[in-house]
Amino acid sequence: MLGLGNVLMGDDALGPYAVRTLHARYEFPEGVSVIDLGTPGLDLTPHLADAEAVIIVDAVRAQGKPGDLRLYRRDQILRHPPPSRLGPHEPGLKEALLSLEFAGGGPGQVLLIGVIPEWVRPGVGMSLAARGAIAAVEAEVLAELVRLGIPAAMRVPPDKPEIWWETPADGA
Amino acid sequence: MSKRIVIDPVTRIEGHLRIDVEVDDGVVRDAWSSGQMWRGIELILQGRDPREAWLFTQRICGVCTTVHAIASVRAVENALGLEIPLNAQYIRNLLVIAHALHDHIVHFYQLSALDWVDVVSALKADPAKASNLAESLSPWPGNGRLDLQGVKDRLSGFVAGGQLGIFTNGYWGHPAMKLPPEVNLLAVAHYLQALEYQRKANQAVAILGGKTPNIQNLAVGGVANVINLDSQDALNMTKLFTIKDLLDEMTAFVQQVYLPDVCAIGALYAEWLPYGAGVKNYLAVPDLPLDTRGTQFDLPGGAIFDGNLSDIKPIASFQDPYFKENVAECVAHSWYEGDATRHPWDGETVPRHGDFDPSGKYSWVKSPRFQGRPMQVGPLAQVLVGYATGHEPTRRWADYALTTAGSIAKAKLGPEVLHSTLGRHLARAVRTAVICELAQKHWQLLVNNIAKGDTAIFNEPIFPKGEQKGFGFHEAPRGALSHWIVIRDGRIANYQAVVPSTWNAGPRDDRQQRGPYEASLVGTPVADPERPLEVLRTIHSFDPCLACAIHTLDVDGKEIGRVRAL
Repeated sequence: MLGLGNVLMGDDALGPYAVRTLHARYEFPEGVSVIDLGTPGLDLTPHLADAEAVIIVDAVRAQGKPGDLRLYRRDQILRHPPPSRLGPHEPGLKEALLSLEFAGGGPGQVLLIGVIPEWVRPGVGMSLAARGAIAAVEAEVLAELVRLGIPAAMRVPPDKPEIWWETPADGA
Repeated sequence: MSKRIVIDPVTRIEGHLRIDVEVDDGVVRDAWSSGQMWRGIELILQGRDPREAWLFTQRICGVCTTVHAIASVRAVENALGLEIPLNAQYIRNLLVIAHALHDHIVHFYQLSALDWVDVVSALKADPAKASNLAESLSPWPGNGRLDLQGVKDRLSGFVAGGQLGIFTNGYWGHPAMKLPPEVNLLAVAHYLQALEYQRKANQAVAILGGKTPNIQNLAVGGVANVINLDSQDALNMTKLFTIKDLLDEMTAFVQQVYLPDVCAIGALYAEWLPYGAGVKNYLAVPDLPLDTRGTQFDLPGGAIFDGNLSDIKPIASFQDPYFKENVAECVAHSWYEGDATRHPWDGETVPRHGDFDPSGKYSWVKSPRFQGRPMQVGPLAQVLVGYATGHEPTRRWADYALTTAGSIAKAKLGPEVLHSTLGRHLARAVRTAVICELAQKHWQLLVNNIAKGDTAIFNEPIFPKGEQKGFGFHEAPRGALSHWIVIRDGRIANYQAVVPSTWNAGPRDDRQQRGPYEASLVGTPVADPERPLEVLRTIHSFDPCLACAIHTLDVDGKEIGRVRAL
């Protein structure tokens, strides 16, 4: 389970925020990795190479209201070819899946849980709409794990999520 | 009639590079480079604890995470005059090395090789001929006839299925594509093998850094890797030997695949050697420190002006005033208030967005200058500085690469051909080979130091009252990176990052001097303005790193990836 996004860019922090929250609240079966990957671009590839199934949480551009969820499966993600790129930093999900496919591997099961952001610009802190979407993201993740036959168990009591970038600048 | 071509590949995702070129009579006459997103790292860091700055700066860019973390801790240590233990220096060096090997391999195979390699042409290759050709250049075991036949079959299957998958966007059949089918097939095979080595490098970073891509083992004052050769949880002998194995495997790939590939492809495109030089002022900072204070290094630093290798101005230490006093950033053509040129400690970031105006402001990137001159940074600067200072491994590998390429091109090639688009690729491969050698050395230095009984990893930083200023630099894969910090009463008062792609991709300055991207494009031939492959070749040769700050997936790819010819 991968959270993607830049934690210094407002609602783009959504993926890292969501997977850190899930990690604090649930115990996952052996073999499930929960990683805040940031914005790896093409370096996403090695993180997908050995996975049978992958769940990705990220901000997505789509029609709809801020905070709305959009779910995509592998064939929907790959419906349009990847854009030609100038640098390594543009999002690399399509390329990663296609490179691995060409190499004869990669995850067969892919679910991208996308959330429409309200604002993505330099700065720390998410909008209310994005925060409000975390519970829905959590529900989708849990449902997908059940579908894959590897349900998560709630931690009792839950840990506190490590959202270090939201600590106030004055250290209070 | 002149035509304006705009390469603005991602119009619905902010943060990207836009290149405008004016083409007349099939040749680029002028060029403008524009970064389409501003970064506000200094605004986020103001008022924070300097000890946590690196956690934030490594999130500036999801690909260059490690390099921003390293530069940040060095900047704070410099402000405090704090030395770090030898083990910490060596562990950081191994991280820097693993990251650089990874970055260069990914850059060549995944980001730029397909500018020169026609994947579709590989379908016409004879695998036996390709295998013979490869064996004449390298002992690599992955070049056998059956290996190459397998790659060709896989590619045929993709094309027969009506889709090229990962290769959809290439400029297949473009008149500027000139490699024989066998070389194209070899390159596709190595593209696939490079994916494996990308993973190995990642594993090495993860063992040392605790995690990749965002490492967790740094601290202002050292590292957090507890050294205990007998403990499961610490940095122990098993982990050290795993790292060595990974570095050895990457070394074999670099020496037997990456470097020979670049030599061969460069030689077969020898007609491109006159193109892409641009700015011939070069800047590299020293790296891989060998002492606790940063006064001795395994990779040299310095500045070269006007391509004159016989007059190198050295940069010799983490404290060197020659570097400290001569960096400034100009905003005359950038979307910030005013037109001042300021030292980074006095830098301001007050955005003022307007239209793209080639004669006025047209980029979010500032224009860094060194002694008032635009400077090219990156592997070419690294290799030329190494060559000029007589750095033995750089000279040896550069001479080897030039001789190998020269024997294929049937021409005598000297270091002067490195001032070019292809030279940047060759220099990157040379630098990678040098770093592989130093990987072995720094692994041994760490093990020897631990064997002496030294397990120190951290010196506690102490923040006095009042103001301290510091700068930390790192010679990152894409070139000289520097972080500049002003600390007041233990809190960050100002923070500026002058990143490699700012040096290279910055716009004109107040004296109308073009930046390196812009200057390098002038004179480039363009066969087909609708498909400006030649422009992409030169821009890709710099390994652009601009879209660092943003990442919003666009699943519906309709409007992205366009090249507009106006």
